[in-house]
Amino acid sequence: MSTLSPGALPISALPWLVAAWLFAVGLYGIVTSRHCVHLVGCLTVCQSATYVLLLGLGYVREAGPPVFYDHPPGTPAVDPVVQALVLTDIVVGAAVTALLLAIAIQVQRRRGTLDPQALRPLRPPPPSAE
Amino acid sequence: MTLLVAALLLLAALSGLLVVLSRDPRRQIFAMAGNGLVLGLLFLALQAPDVALSEIAVGTAVTPLLFLAALAAIRMDRAKR
Repeated sequence: MSTLSPGALPISALPWLVAAWLFAVGLYGIVTSRHCVHLVGCLTVCQSATYVLLLGLGYVREAGPPVFYDHPPGTPAVDPVVQALVLTDIVVGAAVTALLLAIAIQVQRRRGTLDPQALRPLRPPPPSAE
Repeated sequence: MTLLVAALLLLAALSGLLVVLSRDPRRQIFAMAGNGLVLGLLFLALQAPDVALSEIAVGTAVTPLLFLAALAAIRMDRAKR
């Protein structure tokens, strides 16, 4: 942050604020959700906070992508390590989403509802569900 | 350039809020696809083209299709009852 525009936050603080905002919003959605599928969607918002945080961490101003195919090594580039981490994070996030959706389908089949308030753990399913 | 990054960051925050606030899961799917598209453009502006490619493929196409398939299975189960 070399130059600050007067009366504004430095631009390098914005990714942190947006990541915190996305995580808080996703957590709020998880806590207040009344539908398990909606809950999984809120979890993806929580995960997008980590993408923004990591890529904002590795971002270098006035630097190119970390691909040195057509420019010489030593050219200013953004951090490639966090980009690899985010790439892994996206793939793991898709796998977690698929797993949680499969669990949600099984909950609907066994209990007949997807409202987390109506689901009681460790209780036998109602006889009408069988 | 930094103005573009800042605008896309704010747009990502807004679309994440939209995903959470759309309580109907069928509407949430569309919000989620839009969120994935905004995140992909943001990653492109943050000089991460490979991450942007995989985010657009996964966040805009694969995840909403998974949600659609899950909702279809849930609706079939509810119709059977």
